[in-house]
Amino acid sequence: MYGNISIVDQVIGKKNAQEDPVKLADFQDKIDRGEKIEPHDWMPYDYRRQLIRMIEQHAHSEIIGALPEGTWITRAPGFKRKMALMAKVQDEVGHAQLLYNAAETLGKPREDMINDLLNGKSKYSNVFNYPAETWADTAVIAWLIDAAAIINQVTNSKGSYAPYCRALERICQEESFHLKYGYDNVVTLATGTPKQREMVQDALNRWWKPIMHFFGPPDVASVHSEILTRWKVKMASNDDMRQQFFNQYVPKIWELGLTVPDSELHKDDVTGKWTYGDPDWDEFKRVINGDGPCNKERLAVRRMAEENGRWVRNALKNPTAKYTVPLS
Amino acid sequence: MNQKTIHSLDPRITRAQILSDVDEVPQYEVLEQFITFEVFQQQKSGGHHIHVGSVHAPNIEMALLFAKEQYGRRGKSTGMWVVPTNAVVTFSDDDLDMFETTPEKKYREVGAYMVRKRVEQYKKEQK
Amino acid sequence: MNTEAVKNLLYRMADDALIIAHRNSEWTGLGPILEEDIAFSSIAQDKLGHALALYTILNELGEAEPDIIAFTRNEKDFCCSQLVEYPIGEYDFSLVRHFMFDTAEKLRYELLQQSTFEPIAKLAKKVSGEIKYHTFHADTWIFQLGSKGNEESKARMQSAINEVYPIAFSIFEPSSFEDSLIADATFVGEVELQKRWVERITSIVEGAGLKLPTIDVTSHYGGRNKFHTEHLQPLLDEMTVVFLLDPSAEW
Repeated sequence: MYGNISIVDQVIGKKNAQEDPVKLADFQDKIDRGEKIEPHDWMPYDYRRQLIRMIEQHAHSEIIGALPEGTWITRAPGFKRKMALMAKVQDEVGHAQLLYNAAETLGKPREDMINDLLNGKSKYSNVFNYPAETWADTAVIAWLIDAAAIINQVTNSKGSYAPYCRALERICQEESFHLKYGYDNVVTLATGTPKQREMVQDALNRWWKPIMHFFGPPDVASVHSEILTRWKVKMASNDDMRQQFFNQYVPKIWELGLTVPDSELHKDDVTGKWTYGDPDWDEFKRVINGDGPCNKERLAVRRMAEENGRWVRNALKNPTAKYTVPLS
Repeated sequence: MNQKTIHSLDPRITRAQILSDVDEVPQYEVLEQFITFEVFQQQKSGGHHIHVGSVHAPNIEMALLFAKEQYGRRGKSTGMWVVPTNAVVTFSDDDLDMFETTPEKKYREVGAYMVRKRVEQYKKEQK
Repeated sequence: MNTEAVKNLLYRMADDALIIAHRNSEWTGLGPILEEDIAFSSIAQDKLGHALALYTILNELGEAEPDIIAFTRNEKDFCCSQLVEYPIGEYDFSLVRHFMFDTAEKLRYELLQQSTFEPIAKLAKKVSGEIKYHTFHADTWIFQLGSKGNEESKARMQSAINEVYPIAFSIFEPSSFEDSLIADATFVGEVELQKRWVERITSIVEGAGLKLPTIDVTSHYGGRNKFHTEHLQPLLDEMTVVFLLDPSAEW
């Protein structure tokens, strides 16, 4: 749920009512024609604000997302996995960099975004508040969480705000390596020794619920969602993306003889729709609001990394530098 | 007084001895993360240098150092430029309408010069 | 060609590359600024690649598979220098270690391009571009935090140099094969390498407005003869814990 709307502030409407109706209509026409919005274009206040929130949350998700898999970098078994895991976690940092830039084009400096991550004001994807307990956890994360992220990112890459689209295109290219690597890892473990198979099944059992939470709660029709859809900020419903995920990945999981801890999960042969058991949306709410197993640690680590780096950044600072918004 | 540190599943984090209970949250000022530079990459010999994104860096030397790995760690790079963002000059968005009628200037296009018919007509008349 | 001499050289180089790559990988996701985090991680990945390439040559000379060599030995079998074993410390320590180690690597590989042992000469030519970036990165940081930095960064750099420089000489601890390597023109030897390294390091450090302490060159010897600091075994225990769940399995 990188930047999914359900964890974005949904108070829209008040500011919208104050916008110049002609400008607003032109803006809507532009989007309807399929044209992209660039940083220098006129945009409604709410459009700018929602996009900042969404892209910023996505950026935070990437930098925090580096932590669960980063847990196993020093213990990766063998050269192939060690190098690949380092490259993958490096990519997460790289994606954070790309996304902070995209959000920054809308007028919020990177420093403010880091401040808001550390003070808890800005959220990040819930899924990273869970612990990567074993090596197999990194395989499951790299395959299925990245798979879910790709669905989200491919969808959003067709949105209206051009810098975000450009960042997402680059990110999607890199994610395809992550997916391949993750699947390779899961298959190796699932078809390996009994202990390896047990490890990956156990990881899958523990991560299934967070994966189900990834796309956010089932959609509720609302005015707020509607305008974000019209502005091509929200490009697909949570449910649609979740169905896509089931279609693409559940057969692959079952094909390996692995199970998921949801006895209700099945595809209706007639409608083609998947039904699934309730993954406990109360837990989702609790965790997103700070009460997950790793929330405290994730932020403490980010705070430590930033603080430990402060002397380095201070030494390099140029007192005469002036702030400019990045280009695109 | 011994303060509790975070014990993590990640041995690096445990070794970092991060205090468990910290009330103070840092507040970073603008430009803590430095200014930005725009990055242009040439992806094949003879190709154009294409804008691929920005890096935050304290100065232009470090911008190049950073750009190499952020934008050049995959695929092929045969060249790379970095330029301070504040060195880039552009038109203001109000003035982009200056470009509007350009596609109509057919006299600058090949399509405005279809001369075959006249040649055929002339040849017919000469027979 | 004296195979034992060549293997000894390769083990020293490969073990160094593996352990320092492992140490530097600990910074991934935790660096002082995103862009630097990304750059430093690339350098660590490159070093890991060098280790793999060197262990592969060893495998071709009759040693075990790279994964087995790297992930099943204990400290008593490792020939890495003591320098690479130390924990990452703060960024000043890691940067100065990176500067001192990578400068030695650059000079070593430059010299090895002339080796009569073809596989290493070939590898040396192949990695020269990568290593150029490693030292460009390191040198840049020494200058940025040295003469171009502030009082705090200068003090930290000087302190880190004082700490790392004596330990760095552990890279050049001569093996019992030096004469053979030189005679066969496999490698010009640690004495020559150290000489060039001291020249280069001095030039950068003094250019950055910092000083090199006077030291006892042999004070951190031992690594090349398999005598290590208390840091290596815990590092190896951590690095191999998953692999050793089943070394015969495919991971």
